[in-house]
Amino acid sequence: MPGNFEEMAQRAKAQWQGLVAGRRPWVRVGYGISGQAAGADAVFDAAVKACREQGADAEISRVGSLGLHYLEPVLDVTLPGGPRVFYANLRPDEVAHIVRDHVKGGKLIAGRAYAYDAADGVSVDGLPKLAETEAFKRQVRLATRNCGDIDPLDIFQYVANGGYAGLHKALTSMTPEQALDEVKKSGLRGRGGAAFPTGVKWSFLAPSKAPMKYVLVNCEEGDPGAFNDKGILESDPHTLIEGLLLAGYATNSNYGYVFIRHGHDLPVNATKRAIEQCYEHGLAGKNILGTKFSFDMEVAFTGDSYVAGEETALMEAIEGKRSAPRFKPPFPAAFGVWGRPSNINNVKTIAYVPQIVLKGGDWFKSIGTPTSSGTAIVCLTGHIKRPGMYEIPMGLTIRQVLDEIGGGVSEGKEIKLLQTGGPLGGVLGPASFDTAIDFDAMSKAGAILGSGGIIVGNETVQVVDLIRNLVAFCQFESCGKCFPCRLGNTHMLETLDRMCRGQGRAGDLDLMARIGGAMKTGSLCGHGQLGYNPISSALKFFEGEFKSSVQAGQKPLGQFEDGSMVLPTRTRP
Amino acid sequence: MPDPILFTVDGKQVGAQPGQTILQAAMASGIYIPYLCYFPKMKPYGACRTCVVETEVTVQRGDQKVVQKATVASCTAPAQKDMIVHTNSDPIRDLRKGIIELLMAEHPHGCLTCHRIELCGPQDICQRHVGVTDRCTICPKNERCELKDTVRMVELDLRTPLNYHRRNLPIHTDDPFYDRDYNLCIVCARCVRVCEEVRFDTALTLTNRSGVSLVGTSHGTSLLESGCEFCGACVDVCPVGALVERDYKWEKASRKVKTICTNCPVGCQMVAEVNRYDKVVRSVADIQGDANNGQACFKGKFGYDYPNAKQRLKHPYVREGGVMRRVTWDDALGRAAAALKKYKPEELAVVASPRGTNEDNYVAGKFARVVLKTNNVDSGLNIAPELLDVLRRRLGYGAATNPVWHLERSKCVLVVAGNPTEEQNVLAVPVKKAARAKAAIIVVDTRETELTRYATEWLRVRPGTEALLLSGMARVIIDETLEDKEFVSGRTSDLEPLKHALARVEPSAVAGECGVDEAQLRRAARAFAKSGASAVLLGPDTAGGPAVRSAMADASVNLALLCGSIGKEGAGVFPLYSGANTAGSLDVGCAPALLPGPRPIESHADWAEIGSLWGAGAPTARGVGMPQLAGEIRAGRIKAAIVMGDGLDPDAEGLDGLGQALGRLEFLAVSAVFDSEATARAQVVLPAAPYSEQQGTVTNVERRVQLVRRISAPKNEEKSGWETFGALAGKLGPTGLSYKSAEDVFAEVRKAVPHYAGLSHERLADGGIQSPCLEAGSAGTPILHFQPKALVPPAAPTPQTPAQTGSALAQATVVVQPPAPAQVDGGKKLAFVSDGRLFERPLDVESGQTLLLAHGRVLHQSGREAGVVKRGDMNYISREEVASIHPDDAVRLGIRDGDLVDISGEAGGETVTARVKVGGPPRGVAQMTTLFGTVASAMQDDPRPDPSPYVKGLWPGRVRLTKRPVRVPAVAAAG
Repeated sequence: MPGNFEEMAQRAKAQWQGLVAGRRPWVRVGYGISGQAAGADAVFDAAVKACREQGADAEISRVGSLGLHYLEPVLDVTLPGGPRVFYANLRPDEVAHIVRDHVKGGKLIAGRAYAYDAADGVSVDGLPKLAETEAFKRQVRLATRNCGDIDPLDIFQYVANGGYAGLHKALTSMTPEQALDEVKKSGLRGRGGAAFPTGVKWSFLAPSKAPMKYVLVNCEEGDPGAFNDKGILESDPHTLIEGLLLAGYATNSNYGYVFIRHGHDLPVNATKRAIEQCYEHGLAGKNILGTKFSFDMEVAFTGDSYVAGEETALMEAIEGKRSAPRFKPPFPAAFGVWGRPSNINNVKTIAYVPQIVLKGGDWFKSIGTPTSSGTAIVCLTGHIKRPGMYEIPMGLTIRQVLDEIGGGVSEGKEIKLLQTGGPLGGVLGPASFDTAIDFDAMSKAGAILGSGGIIVGNETVQVVDLIRNLVAFCQFESCGKCFPCRLGNTHMLETLDRMCRGQGRAGDLDLMARIGGAMKTGSLCGHGQLGYNPISSALKFFEGEFKSSVQAGQKPLGQFEDGSMVLPTRTRP
Repeated sequence: MPDPILFTVDGKQVGAQPGQTILQAAMASGIYIPYLCYFPKMKPYGACRTCVVETEVTVQRGDQKVVQKATVASCTAPAQKDMIVHTNSDPIRDLRKGIIELLMAEHPHGCLTCHRIELCGPQDICQRHVGVTDRCTICPKNERCELKDTVRMVELDLRTPLNYHRRNLPIHTDDPFYDRDYNLCIVCARCVRVCEEVRFDTALTLTNRSGVSLVGTSHGTSLLESGCEFCGACVDVCPVGALVERDYKWEKASRKVKTICTNCPVGCQMVAEVNRYDKVVRSVADIQGDANNGQACFKGKFGYDYPNAKQRLKHPYVREGGVMRRVTWDDALGRAAAALKKYKPEELAVVASPRGTNEDNYVAGKFARVVLKTNNVDSGLNIAPELLDVLRRRLGYGAATNPVWHLERSKCVLVVAGNPTEEQNVLAVPVKKAARAKAAIIVVDTRETELTRYATEWLRVRPGTEALLLSGMARVIIDETLEDKEFVSGRTSDLEPLKHALARVEPSAVAGECGVDEAQLRRAARAFAKSGASAVLLGPDTAGGPAVRSAMADASVNLALLCGSIGKEGAGVFPLYSGANTAGSLDVGCAPALLPGPRPIESHADWAEIGSLWGAGAPTARGVGMPQLAGEIRAGRIKAAIVMGDGLDPDAEGLDGLGQALGRLEFLAVSAVFDSEATARAQVVLPAAPYSEQQGTVTNVERRVQLVRRISAPKNEEKSGWETFGALAGKLGPTGLSYKSAEDVFAEVRKAVPHYAGLSHERLADGGIQSPCLEAGSAGTPILHFQPKALVPPAAPTPQTPAQTGSALAQATVVVQPPAPAQVDGGKKLAFVSDGRLFERPLDVESGQTLLLAHGRVLHQSGREAGVVKRGDMNYISREEVASIHPDDAVRLGIRDGDLVDISGEAGGETVTARVKVGGPPRGVAQMTTLFGTVASAMQDDPRPDPSPYVKGLWPGRVRLTKRPVRVPAVAAAG
């Protein structure tokens, strides 16, 4: 029945009803990478085993992650027609108990259950509603709306929750121009770091009459502390694929690449499966949903290279070459992958598109701030009580995120600094915590929202040592093509290294500023141009620590007891 | 040319062509912007960032005009109209210095910071100022280092707080020809790019990343294993001392002289670097060279220095009682003259040097006719004369119809029985470029050659069936009416007889007889016919001998005519002959059947014309050419000869064992640069001047007449060929062969050869001109039979008839171009040839105990393990040599897969492992391939001072395969 979307949607709804209100209980285990790390495998196996041994007739599914990583592993039980009850931080040996009492016995385990979720008006005694918990109540979940609720490998569960309705609407009732207009109207800006208006970017590609045009989705996501792209792909890949199809439709393109770092098996497999299912159900390939629109897709891989996330380096990687950035112009809209017009977007950006097309650009624009519409998907890690992935409306302040969602500092006394937007994004001190999370406010504060990673550091973090680590990352990940980046990072790292060893020199800060200046204006791509950011932003808040580390007799920083340091051992050939 | 884009650089108005970058436009206008990674004729790369400039562009935003400022790399930023560029503002100077300062902390630069730098003379060795490993003065590229120039130009302050690190990497000195010292590398990737982008070899790569990024071979192997062609392009583009030629490594050039490589017919334009002792110490491809576009090959790049060899012949010698005795020129010539007088004209022969200039060849031909009264005269490596003969007869000129470098625009290249990568190396570069641009490459060859790697169709024919196969292709084209109807009807004649003749060859039968798939034959024919710009590379390496070679040439021309491949860009026929100046020697009448012009020797009218110029007449019977010479000597019909030995290999295949035969002559006079087999058999030995000690013109495969310049005076008593013949003629009587200079000779050549009428040494000083060049104002003829078409860009059009010159375009081009020469043969229609020779049948190769050895050369074979062994300080390729044979032959000869077999033939023998496989070579053929690296090591090791002009072992030859008694299992042998 490829092509008949109404039939498919009906079948999906029926299947979903069977799951949540059928005759059998539905047990879901959160199964993102964070869940796996916390032991979701064992919990899932224990659930299967317990049900079999106890003869409990239940549907057991692996679903994506709710983003509440501090609660992993999470298991929830939905009795037919009843509320969904979550158990958090579960040990495998507790599962048999839950199966006996809750799944079979129909009674939740008071004191062990964490929260519940149900339609309005339904409540469960003694339990908070998940949406009203601290970590959840500030969230507005658009791109992550299905994360943790559905099985990412089942297209029907996605369709049952409104999936592909946007695509259906666009293909049946909108011209490509209208679809593009909705995206323009929404004020959506690229979530990859540069925050360029997505609709405008698409409109560079749309008019081209080239026979092959590509839309690329970038899930290289190499920033330490960022996992929201992979989070979306592993929990709800179809929202990306639907967005990609819409991007292809709006720009009159005919081929899509989802570019994922190799080795991330969960998002890779989920995305591959999603694409396969699209082909099975007539949502990809020739004449999608019976219309004239044809679009093909595949997953492409990077090697282990951070710079492969740079848009032109990514194209080189897709072409099977060394992933070094190309010079611009020509820009990708004229000369992209395989020399054809191309457009490249971040996963998060594309994941908003189905909702924007379905509900309208104005609806999206009403969320967030006037210049940064929609939500931000932040990843909290480090010295924070509730690490996880949260989708918040733009405009919330950093402090709100840290205190209300993150629950404040986890160990130590206070939050000293944040490292945002990846290693090139720089650090923020407490003085800037009242900055609103908004592209323009953040950049005014000297940081970038970038990929949305926020690494929290408490008072024990030595700033110079932290910066040394960030610069070491940037140095190690430089592709080595352009001279300022290849050489500048090396020399900056060596300067920071000697500062950490207690051998700093009086002119070191000036030296780094000079090198950084040459990198900023001289480098070929963003990696070098932003390479001095970590240092310049840290100097803004913690100049004193830098100054003291270039004084004679300064105590070494960041060293192990034997004097060794965590650093790449070779910086030169 | 489109209107230039006008913009401003440092206050000066500059024009750029569309697509030009700021850097290119500025440089063309004489504004220098420092750069390190950019290199002319390569794609911009944008890595070094030394060429940063500030730009200001005014854009309209609504009602306002906004000035957008940016700092960009000028090597990648396209020039825009009305853009304002500052190349030397304070911020730019600071930025540039900042970047180079970082770079210098990675590069030994002690001399640049030394306070004595201005005082330090070239021979000074400083005692204490700068550490040894840090000196520029010990760098082989000192004073020709682009980095050093740049550092000085930007006035870098080298008192820097940056830590300087020496990398302390081992230097790679064990590969042939050049050394790699990555301590000096600045990672500009020019070498990697030229290898990948221009040469298509990809032998070098960037290794690692970030601060550890460097250049090397994949997995750190030797160059021999990485598929290096040893063309030296990487060495030529390296801006620092990281890649340098090993010979004369530290020699400084005191001057540079443009010259022509005389190792093969491509005639690459080279710049010879000469030291103050008049030695040529380096050879660099001329980036402005029209013939080679800045490229060279291992022969031209590393085989240039034989004039420096100690073994040079310095004086004349005569043999007396079996002992060579040094004599005066006068005595030697007297002795030769006396000997020559004793023989009848038909008992004499003259062999000119394959490297001989047009002047030498002209005088040699005239000497033979006027003085010796014989037509037995030929150029020494004219071993496959059929190719040029057919082209001259059919297309009016015995050379390529189109410029070599236009091959890069071909949409289809048909390579027949030739291995240009090996023999005419640079000619293969544009072919590979076309291949990368998705041109169809069709290779008709029994051997595996380097071009089979690029082939879209490799028609692995049975030996000797090449001509038949080409006729089969013509049949398919006619059957499927794919011919260029307009061209065929307007510009050709005699198609009907060809159609009748082709009716005899069914494609299926042809495919069967040639041992190829009929579908493949049809695919190849269609690709050739439909591409729109198809070229034929016509090689000599067929097993069928002269008859098939001649048929092959005729069939190739037929194909080209059918598909309209004559007279347009990117098409044409290219003969792959041997001998640097073979085409020129034919032009000036140094051939057994040609007078200068070239005019047929049988024609009395032509004889009258030349005779009146020479003041003499001579025999009109066809003389003996190179392929027959050895046989005639052995038969005793030729008893005395004069041989110009520079670059002649008497043992070349096709010369039929001339080396041995020379020993049977009653009298032999040899003029040579070195002692050789030929001089060992000579009674009179005369010292010849090598290319560096004489002036003259040579004509390359694309008819480009180029000037070989005298770099230094002869060091001893050496004489050029024309001087030698002139002096010898003087001894034999007053004959009008005494000339004052090469220019003097050329003045007469101009009169005798109409195609050269417009040329002179003076005109050729700025670069070559393609013959025909009929008058002094003519710019030459890049494309023979060219007819401008509205859609073809007029590179250098040659209006043909009044009707065409009437068109607007032709008139416009006439205004721009100098007057174009009349076309060859006065615009006669080009005839198809359809006689029975076209269908030469294959040899009987499938019986008997001998097989035909098809010996190919490839850059690298991925399927087979090649190891490297070290002998002395050098790397050598070591690998199990394999001969592939057809299963039927294996059964017949009792050989099984994995057997060790001895291959023995005329050229010697070796022991190899037999591979019996289906889909390998056809019946009757033993197939072997040699890696390029092996050829390079062999050339470096060759004890002869001048091993490069002829590549042996490419012609198919008869060999006997005998199984060794002990059978080694295949696996064990490989391990």
